[in-house]
Amino acid sequence: MTHDEVQSHILAVRRGPGANCSSIGSAVEMLFLSATAGVAIVAAVSAALRPHDDEEPPAETPPTEAPPAAPSADP
Amino acid sequence: MRQRPERFGAWVRVDDGTLVAVDRTLARALHVEETPLWDDALPEAPSMPLEVHVAVTARCPAGCSGCYQSATRDGDDVPFAELARTLDGLAAMGVFTVAFGGGEPMLRDDLGALATYARSLDLVPVVTTSGIGLTPARARTLGDFAQVNVSHDGVGGGYEAVRGYDGASAADRAARTLLDAGVSVGLNHVLTRQNFAHLAETVRHARALGAREVQVLRYKPAGRAASLEYLARRLTQDQVRALAPALRAIAEEHGEGISIRVDCATVPLLSETLTDAAQLERFGVFGCEAGRHLGAVRRDGSLAGCSFVTREPAPATGTLADRWESAPELERFRASVRERPEPCASCGLRTVCRGGCRIVSEHLTGGFEPDPECPRVVAFAQRTAVTSDGA
Repeated sequence: MTHDEVQSHILAVRRGPGANCSSIGSAVEMLFLSATAGVAIVAAVSAALRPHDDEEPPAETPPTEAPPAAPSADP
Repeated sequence: MRQRPERFGAWVRVDDGTLVAVDRTLARALHVEETPLWDDALPEAPSMPLEVHVAVTARCPAGCSGCYQSATRDGDDVPFAELARTLDGLAAMGVFTVAFGGGEPMLRDDLGALATYARSLDLVPVVTTSGIGLTPARARTLGDFAQVNVSHDGVGGGYEAVRGYDGASAADRAARTLLDAGVSVGLNHVLTRQNFAHLAETVRHARALGAREVQVLRYKPAGRAASLEYLARRLTQDQVRALAPALRAIAEEHGEGISIRVDCATVPLLSETLTDAAQLERFGVFGCEAGRHLGAVRRDGSLAGCSFVTREPAPATGTLADRWESAPELERFRASVRERPEPCASCGLRTVCRGGCRIVSEHLTGGFEPDPECPRVVAFAQRTAVTSDGA
């Protein structure tokens, strides 16, 4: 799976462990910076996720699902 | 990489604690085991939480006037063995992150041991502290925490305005002590009417200290803060409108120099500026997460949607996973997301905002009505009032 292909299968990225004890937190600076900041984050994550080339490919590769729309199925 | 299968595919945790939602295709490529969750013919059950907050003590000498837990000097600690059982249960549920809170967790001598135990279960432990009681020797026992967040409500008198005493110097000292011990540090900044003007200056201060992030938190009416005083401390509508531009300016000033996080309750306050729901979803920026990605285990072992819920808990019987799926109190949160009234029902941000903070809403309206401080809800109420007057 190429780098670009991996990116196309990423639905959401929640950065960092979120260290607050009382309510869940989300990093937002990339939302206020240029679009390239967000692209760089997804690219970095996809590099970390990219399956090794020498690993067995999945037996079956169905079409990519769209990001789930129903609240109960959201990531 | 730790993985957890989900209906949509899987959550995967990468080395820095970042969680990535991947679809089924990539999940299979990453060797996530086939799961009945991927059988669309089967009914869907509530997903397990990603992060759970665990109250480890009710003890705290600070006496903050807005303490959401109403912690006191003589509050009880939760025994280590009970906390270990809770962590076992959370690991079995597939939870990724546990956030220890109190009271003041630093008062526990075994706090480092709790983090070590969580690590042994492949959980990522984090904790928030006022810094009270933190010594260099204690800081050196905290290396298993992924991050320690120090409560710091602002420079220029902001801290005292929020908490009723000036703990800013103690917070600074604690942050430096942790950093000297090699512990990653963030600052928690509760935003109020009184410290709003110092936000940019506080972030500069945090960066100069060496903190890697500032977490901006909405002031919430829970515990001792659930009083009339709340109305005097919450942000004004002008400040709410100014918040997103202020965060933008901070992000542009610091770039990657420091991360800016907002809590789930703050998301609706940004709804006039952050209007791209798909982008928010892409970066996992959601409003009320209670009962979905977020849960809380209270000192008595009972489960709640988030740590601000003060309603009488369901009896703590059965496994944590069973209670997570069936507790009426959690279902109340989930139902309130599915069944939103206007203006949330037709709002383009509904899937990410999820109706705003239920704690604020319940305090101000008596129920889970649309968040009354969301600018979109305020505008809707004003339009409705005008229409009614016109009729």
